[in-house]
Amino acid sequence: MKGARFDQLRTFWGEFRRVKFGLVGIGLLVVFALIVLLAPLLSPFTQADQRWRDMTYWLDSPREARPMWVNWFTSKKYATTETIAAASTIETVTGSMRILEMEFPYQYTAGRPPNDLVLKMGITGRTSYELLIQRPDGKQMSYRGSTVVDGAQVLRLSVVETLASRVYAVLAPSEDPKFAASKDPQQIDPMGAMFGKAQPGIFTTPENVKGTYTVKLKLALISPESKLDSAVINIMGGVSGLLGTDGAKRDLWSGVIAGTKWALLLGLLTSLISVVVGVVYGVASGYFGGWIDALMNRIYEVFTSIPLLPILIVMSAVFKPSIWIMILIMCVFFWTGPVKTVRSIALQIKENAYIEAARGLGASHGRILFRHMVPQLVPFAFASMALSVPGAIVFEATISLIGLGDATVVTWGQILRDAFGSGAVLKGVWWWVVPPGIAIAVMGMTFAFIGFAMDTILNPKLKTR
Amino acid sequence: MSEPILVAENLTKWFPVKRLVSQVLRGERTWVRAVDGVSFSINKGEIFGLVGESGCGKTTTGKLIMKLLEITDGHLHLNGEDVTHVRGRALAKHRRSVQMIFQDPYSSMNPRFTIRDVLMEPLEIHKVGKDMKERNAWVSEILNEVKLSPPEEFLVRHPHMLSGGQRQRAATARTLMLNPSVIVADEPVSMIDLSTRAEILHMMRQLQRELGLTYIYITHDLSTARYFADRLAVMYLGKIIEMGPAGTVIDRCLHPYTQALIGAVCEPVSGKVNQIKDVPIKGEIPAATNIPPGCRFHPRCLYAVNECWENVEPKLVDIGGGHMVACRRHEEIERIGAAARTSEASLGLRRSTRIS
Repeated sequence: MKGARFDQLRTFWGEFRRVKFGLVGIGLLVVFALIVLLAPLLSPFTQADQRWRDMTYWLDSPREARPMWVNWFTSKKYATTETIAAASTIETVTGSMRILEMEFPYQYTAGRPPNDLVLKMGITGRTSYELLIQRPDGKQMSYRGSTVVDGAQVLRLSVVETLASRVYAVLAPSEDPKFAASKDPQQIDPMGAMFGKAQPGIFTTPENVKGTYTVKLKLALISPESKLDSAVINIMGGVSGLLGTDGAKRDLWSGVIAGTKWALLLGLLTSLISVVVGVVYGVASGYFGGWIDALMNRIYEVFTSIPLLPILIVMSAVFKPSIWIMILIMCVFFWTGPVKTVRSIALQIKENAYIEAARGLGASHGRILFRHMVPQLVPFAFASMALSVPGAIVFEATISLIGLGDATVVTWGQILRDAFGSGAVLKGVWWWVVPPGIAIAVMGMTFAFIGFAMDTILNPKLKTR
Repeated sequence: MSEPILVAENLTKWFPVKRLVSQVLRGERTWVRAVDGVSFSINKGEIFGLVGESGCGKTTTGKLIMKLLEITDGHLHLNGEDVTHVRGRALAKHRRSVQMIFQDPYSSMNPRFTIRDVLMEPLEIHKVGKDMKERNAWVSEILNEVKLSPPEEFLVRHPHMLSGGQRQRAATARTLMLNPSVIVADEPVSMIDLSTRAEILHMMRQLQRELGLTYIYITHDLSTARYFADRLAVMYLGKIIEMGPAGTVIDRCLHPYTQALIGAVCEPVSGKVNQIKDVPIKGEIPAATNIPPGCRFHPRCLYAVNECWENVEPKLVDIGGGHMVACRRHEEIERIGAAARTSEASLGLRRSTRIS
């Protein structure tokens, strides 16, 4: 018994192997499965899935950085992300205060400035600090501040967010006075100016200056228990990771990897449930016939004539958007897919003498349906399952894109939605839009290939010599 | 003679014909009168043959006995109990005691099942046998009974791995699994090679003797009917028109239709092989929706006279020795037949025409 089943499988595989695009589909599916299994190894941000919406998880990444391979195709290289530790630390004691002086040299060699320069320090207790950035040409900009909290805290002092007005103030004298006066300090590109040559045009078309930029930190530990836990300079590069980062500093490669799991889950679960329901429904409809068949056909027609998208929109508005509710709603509408074909196959199977023989033996309807009829539809069910996976994935993406998806999980649709929401297309942040789009297309293609290949084998009419 | 095991009284099955909306509104109904009042009584241990051409309602009768179809009118008694409209547990009991062998051994078994699955199914449905061991032993025993041995070799095979004859043996084995008292055999050998037919029939007969079975043998093949059945009933358009001991019905048939059927049998006897007989019948079988008035055979009957269609339908009358016939003119036909037999003997092949 087992042997015969195994033989059937082997014959099926033998035929499947001959359909080239089917093999491509299987190959891609294996790749996707590996991505899901090896996600912790592949993704630099292992908690990307759970903490995608958690802004604090992504603070140390650059915002809207390009994929790192962009540097391979340009002569003016983007600065890469770096972490710089203190080159020297001097501690002096004045009265009850201790003063720490640290220097962080940044060798700037790239063709385009980094996205940001951030001093990240962990501090316990009351302190007062002065941050000073010295350019190769000697110009420097500084920022003073102090902490008053007693407990430990992490401070991030960003050039873009904190020092922009200082950069403007220091470099404005070099700019064309007319222009400098008319220009709003908030509108200049602080990083471009900071790494630009001090000459007219620095705020509009800065000329890159390579060299050593030194960041100096002077920290006064005021109370006896105050101390410095850590201090580093994070250079937020213009390129970062395999697929760059989005507007919320999230690593898109990690996002696409985390999305794979959800796409597979959503696609397979939806198609599994809906095909199982559809096959059983179709078989029952064909087997019972008569008024039951007529009634089931009418119900089927009602479901096929309701447009799914408006229903999903309304449902998502009524319920709290959740991926499970979305799967449920899709199942409620997708089960109609295989019904008609299955019903016509069931009408054929029903006419076989062995169905009548089973009835003559006293078999119940359930037994005839599930022992005699449904097993014959298993190959068809697999093919239609594979073919209905892309639909579910695209639907989820559509719903997410119009903002009604489940925002608590990372799906490709959600990534796209965030991209459109922050105008990524208008800003030219193509690396935010293209990868999830390609992922959806490739995932759809994978199952379409497998489904078509199975269809070619199982549907004798499509067989070619 | 032993007591009757299965009695059919005026058994009727009418199928409704799909109506147009206008017909529904006018309240018109038309029916296919597949089985139109059939009465017979089968004794225990008997082989009862039901013959007739296709569409005469013999298979429908078999299915009515099997309770695969709902009986429209009339009564069916099994072992003295009325089983006409049984449901639930009583129906399950009926299913256990009446089993059917189907015509097509190629489609009567699920191609995905092994022979073991096929034979286990009745046991599983009726929860027969304490455990797998007992069931397995029973399956092996039955397989030996139908001469499919060694059983272990056949158990693991799928139906398509068996020959036609082996399949019909397996189908017979399935009907025996539940120890039935009546087996409806619907053309069990008509799709089997001539060479294995006799073997299958022989096996069935042997089983009948050993297990005390009662068969209802449905066929269009008069020669195997004569060989196999004890009693024969000839059906035409949903009614039995002649019934009696197999030998009498074949040799001394009185109904013109039976005569026509017998006349149509090819005889592979040298000198007669290339001859098609002049069948004493005309026209086509009428539709079962529109049964002719009077004797339903009159439009095709060579002996029909006015009284045949002006009067009500003739009833089956016993003309002695259990031989029953439903024909107004059976006495005259007997006389003609006797004359014809003598003249045929003297004239040789008078009623035959030679072809090429």
